[in-house]
Amino acid sequence: MAAPRLPVLFLLLALLVVACRGEASGEGPRGRKVLVLVDDLAVRSSHSAFFGSLQARGLDLEFRLADDPKLSLHRYGQYLYDGLVLFAPSTPRFGGSVDQNAVLEFIDAGHDMILAADSSASDLIRGIATECGVDFDEDPEAMVIDHINYASTEVEGDHTLIAGDDLIESDVILGSKKIDAPVLFRGIGHAANPSNSLVLKVLSASPSAYSANPKTKLASPPSLTGSAISLVSVMQARNNARVLISGSLDLFSNRFLKSSVKKAGSKLSHEKAGNEQFVTETSKWVFHERGHLKAVNVKHHKIGETNEPSMYRINDDLEYSVEIYEWSGTSWKPYVADDVQVQFYMMSPYVLKNMSTDKKGVYSSSFKVPDVYGVFQFKVEYQKLGYTGLSLAKQIPVRPYRHNEYERFITSAYPYYAASFSTMGAFFIFSIAYLYHK
Amino acid sequence: MPKAAGDAKLLIQSLSKAYAATPTNLKIIDLYVVFAVATAVVQVVYMGVVGSFPFNSFLSGVLSCIGTAVLAVCLRIQVNKDNKEFKDLAPERAFADFVLCNLVLHLVIMNFLG
Amino acid sequence: MAAASAATTSALEPLLRSLRLKTKQQELLLRVSALALIYVLAFAVRLFSVLRYESMIHEFDPYFNYRTTLYLTEHGYGEFWNWFDSESWYPLGRVVGGTLFPGLMVTAALLHRLLHALSLAVHIREVCVLTAPFFAANTTLVAYAFGREIWDSGAGLVAAALIAVCPGYISRSVAGSYDNEGVAIFALLLTFYLFVRAVNTGSLAWALASAFGYFYMVSAWGGYVFIINLLPLYVLVLLVTGRYSQRLYVAYNCMYILGMLLGMQIRFVGFQHVQSGEHMAAMGVFFLLQVFFFLDWVKYMLNDVKLFKSFLRITLTCVITVGTLALGIGTASGYISPWTGRFYSLLDPTYAKDHIPIIASVSEHQPTAWSSFMFDFHILLFLFPAGLYFCFKRLSDATIFIVMYGLTSMYFAGVMVRLILVAAPAVCLISAIAVSATMKNLTTLIRTKSKSPQTTSGKATGSKAAAKGAVDQPLPFQHNVAIALLLGAFYLLSRYAIHCTWVTSEAYSSPSIVLSARGHNGGRVIFDDYREAYYWLRQNTPTDAKIMSWWDYGYQITAMGNRTVIVDNNTWNNTHIATVGRAMSSYEDEAYEIMQSLDVNYVLVVFGGVTGYSSDDINKFLWMVRIGGGVFPVIKEPDYLVNGEYRVDKGASHKMLNCLMYKLCYYRFGELTTEYGKPPGYDRVRGVEIGNKDVKLEYLEEAFTTSNWIVRIYKVKPPKNRS
Repeated sequence: MAAPRLPVLFLLLALLVVACRGEASGEGPRGRKVLVLVDDLAVRSSHSAFFGSLQARGLDLEFRLADDPKLSLHRYGQYLYDGLVLFAPSTPRFGGSVDQNAVLEFIDAGHDMILAADSSASDLIRGIATECGVDFDEDPEAMVIDHINYASTEVEGDHTLIAGDDLIESDVILGSKKIDAPVLFRGIGHAANPSNSLVLKVLSASPSAYSANPKTKLASPPSLTGSAISLVSVMQARNNARVLISGSLDLFSNRFLKSSVKKAGSKLSHEKAGNEQFVTETSKWVFHERGHLKAVNVKHHKIGETNEPSMYRINDDLEYSVEIYEWSGTSWKPYVADDVQVQFYMMSPYVLKNMSTDKKGVYSSSFKVPDVYGVFQFKVEYQKLGYTGLSLAKQIPVRPYRHNEYERFITSAYPYYAASFSTMGAFFIFSIAYLYHK
Repeated sequence: MPKAAGDAKLLIQSLSKAYAATPTNLKIIDLYVVFAVATAVVQVVYMGVVGSFPFNSFLSGVLSCIGTAVLAVCLRIQVNKDNKEFKDLAPERAFADFVLCNLVLHLVIMNFLG
Repeated sequence: MAAASAATTSALEPLLRSLRLKTKQQELLLRVSALALIYVLAFAVRLFSVLRYESMIHEFDPYFNYRTTLYLTEHGYGEFWNWFDSESWYPLGRVVGGTLFPGLMVTAALLHRLLHALSLAVHIREVCVLTAPFFAANTTLVAYAFGREIWDSGAGLVAAALIAVCPGYISRSVAGSYDNEGVAIFALLLTFYLFVRAVNTGSLAWALASAFGYFYMVSAWGGYVFIINLLPLYVLVLLVTGRYSQRLYVAYNCMYILGMLLGMQIRFVGFQHVQSGEHMAAMGVFFLLQVFFFLDWVKYMLNDVKLFKSFLRITLTCVITVGTLALGIGTASGYISPWTGRFYSLLDPTYAKDHIPIIASVSEHQPTAWSSFMFDFHILLFLFPAGLYFCFKRLSDATIFIVMYGLTSMYFAGVMVRLILVAAPAVCLISAIAVSATMKNLTTLIRTKSKSPQTTSGKATGSKAAAKGAVDQPLPFQHNVAIALLLGAFYLLSRYAIHCTWVTSEAYSSPSIVLSARGHNGGRVIFDDYREAYYWLRQNTPTDAKIMSWWDYGYQITAMGNRTVIVDNNTWNNTHIATVGRAMSSYEDEAYEIMQSLDVNYVLVVFGGVTGYSSDDINKFLWMVRIGGGVFPVIKEPDYLVNGEYRVDKGASHKMLNCLMYKLCYYRFGELTTEYGKPPGYDRVRGVEIGNKDVKLEYLEEAFTTSNWIVRIYKVKPPKNRS
């Protein structure tokens, strides 16, 4: 009995290893170490509620002054942090080895960032924002002013404290619970670069807003007006790095989070501004606690078989399946949608089909290989607002029939067979007759 | 046209008269050739009716007949005693060549048929 | 070389005489040893390339042949037959098994297996390298037999000697030139020889043998079309000149039917024998022969002129009507495909230039210059007409054949450079007749006048004057003149031998994948940039990377770099090539979109501006523009020219200076000083300072440039991360 037991033991061991791996993959898509750069350590306390909510969700925050000379994002080729919170709007240059390019490379390496500016935003911050597809108003004195949708707690009356409620309609970015209270905002406005298709305006200004210096008289028409002004934008890069850019640092402050709000001209007064919910939900999105999809176990095989072939033949029937999961913040949950499509693609999609799901994460579809040979690709291009993009491509050649796969013994060809054989027979008869005639 | 018809009649008559004098072994060959040509014609007609889909089968069917016929005619030329051109070619040798060619023909046809 | 072997054999002679062999045996021994020497010579002279460089595959197409042969030896014939290659013509792929002539690969694989069976563990590459010389040596044997068949064994020996070293043939059969032509010329000559033999004997067995020769030819090279058109033409000429015989009937019919059937077994050729316009002549002549034979038979049976005439009238009208109807219906219904472009361009040399740039762009499809005739044939060019004269003087079925072969192939050689190859055997044979015949005349002259010990076993040479001198007017000094002429002939032949050796060693042994040049101090400089680049690709790029380059380099990239290419030398899809041409001649951003749609990862260009290597992509660029513009009218040739002039310096057009090809070739070139005393960015091929020295690349980045800048590889950047 010992002999069979040993393999069983190995099997168990192997299973254990697999299980451990499985658990490892149960971790979230992103690490939890976040660097917070501030230009004044007072920000740490004035924005403690926001930081507190981050820490409460398990993020490991490291606070540094932006001009700390020992500042470094990576060491020995490894990034030290998984995310960056840039709450240092006025810093002219970072300390240590960090500069604008280092921050951009950090993003291009697949890390996330929250950037907040205000009216004192430096060229450095503006430069980073521009590279992320967002242009702050070039006038350094300008702020967003709105004479209709301002928050009426404001008494002074330059109407720069905005009560914004033009939020993007996306449960993924803002959470499923609707944000009822307006979001307080005081800062500079920006516009999304029209050539950049990755930027989304999360909080837009109302049509009556404009961007100008509140202290002087309006000399010329403001360059940014109306709902073209974005107050808070997000950008999800092609490598799924997420960046949130806000024109107001105060938006995250304890004062705004706790304050009550009443929109001018509105009777409804809210106990608490929408800021807390807004910053919590958007930061969840930025740090990939929501809306992160992963696709695993891409499989394809001929119907009736299980092994994946290295090549298909024209007119084969095949089945393609992929498992898609969504990170819920704590675990990977099956992603359920009815709009995931698979393409069988060679220069153009020959097959384009909706995949059906079993609600446990598995999406599958079966179709017939077209009657064309070549190098095809299975492509799943799933780009849904707020979610990370899924872009799966798997190359697979499709060959024509082999010489022995064509139809044989075709009925309509029987006379030809008969003729060939009859001449053959005739040849034998003839030979015999010819040789023995006499 | 009656003149032409008369000509044709005369033609056939004199032809058959002349043909009667042919030796038997040549007659056997002629019969064989006629059979092959007839089979070929039947196949072509059939192809005209059902279309040329299994084209390789059609070709091999027809070509096997034509090939057979042509080879037989070659044999007939070579073994014809009246023919001065092939005096120094023994009929046995001619027949052996003929068999060889036929073997090749039919082997290729078999390969091409399916 | 002919002279050399002649000298050797005549030196042997006293020795032989002392052995008191009978004349017949002597002659046989002489002939065999001469042939053996020629055989060895033909093989050895083609090994220059191995000595000069190394045992490697040459040029472009041979790399594909080598790759397929490798596949064949590794996977067996069944897999080879059905091979679908996903590494070329991305993303279309290529059904290799159905789109190549397998003769060459199968031959090499069989040789390889044979050697292994003899327990000689040779790598398949060596077999491939030596296949062409081996077959060239075999061709000399066939030439000997052919010469004997049409003239006498002396002419055969001379023909074998001439063809062994004929530069026109050597150019395609040096060691390493592993191409279809290498075996095809052997097959071509063999088929012709066997056919002429069949016509001469009227035997079915020879006709069958020639059908097999034809089968081998079909399996090896597309040039078989020449055979299938020359033979019916020959039959037709014999019919018209009243030389019809029943031997001809037997030979042609057996050869046609069996040859056609065998030829159909090659997948690439398939039904073309009954469907394509190029093969219709043969079929027409086949039917014509049947009718002719039938009439002949009836005439023989009837023995009556008047009756036969009326019979003739009836049958002829019937046959002509049926024939024209069949041809008309066939062509109109598209069942018989029209002639292909290549065929047209043979009949009308200007056709390709106007209609098919892709054919016209290949240098070996250009019309032949006189100098290359001279270069490839040397004295044979003058002996050829003399040989024709002798053939006409002694007209027979066989000499008519060789005359027709000679004349048609000479015409084709004039139309396309590469077809000099087809003409070479005919020219050698006809020249050999001239040489042999004059020699014979001269030596008989010498013999009759004096008992000179000079003998001929049939090698030597001559000129037209000698031929005329041989006519029997007893002139004074005839003897001395004959000797002088004989010496002159020997001198000419030795010049030929020297010329051939020189041409072979200097011009035709270059593998073109390794370049060599003379350095300042006269030493040889080797540029091995191509292989450097291909090995870089092999080792530094992902295995599924797609490489875009102009089609010339496709085969080499797949064979040596083992990477997928977009287009290659098998130019079957004009649109795909035009797409690449379009990308190369567009601005970078437009090109980027095209490259994205083709999943291109790397772009490879060949640039000779540093070394002075003139067949680079900038010089080929106008063809890319033309081919691209032929399919995509947005590309217009005048945009790249200035006043009809092609230039790359400051005066070049804006589009030229900023198109992808220009940028990739001249990227960073503006900083480089190539020649002492010239400004930086001096292009040594065009001899100008380039016009755009500040080349900036936005969507591509330089990945690798070989040590002499001949091959430059660029990586296509992925789309920008943040926009």
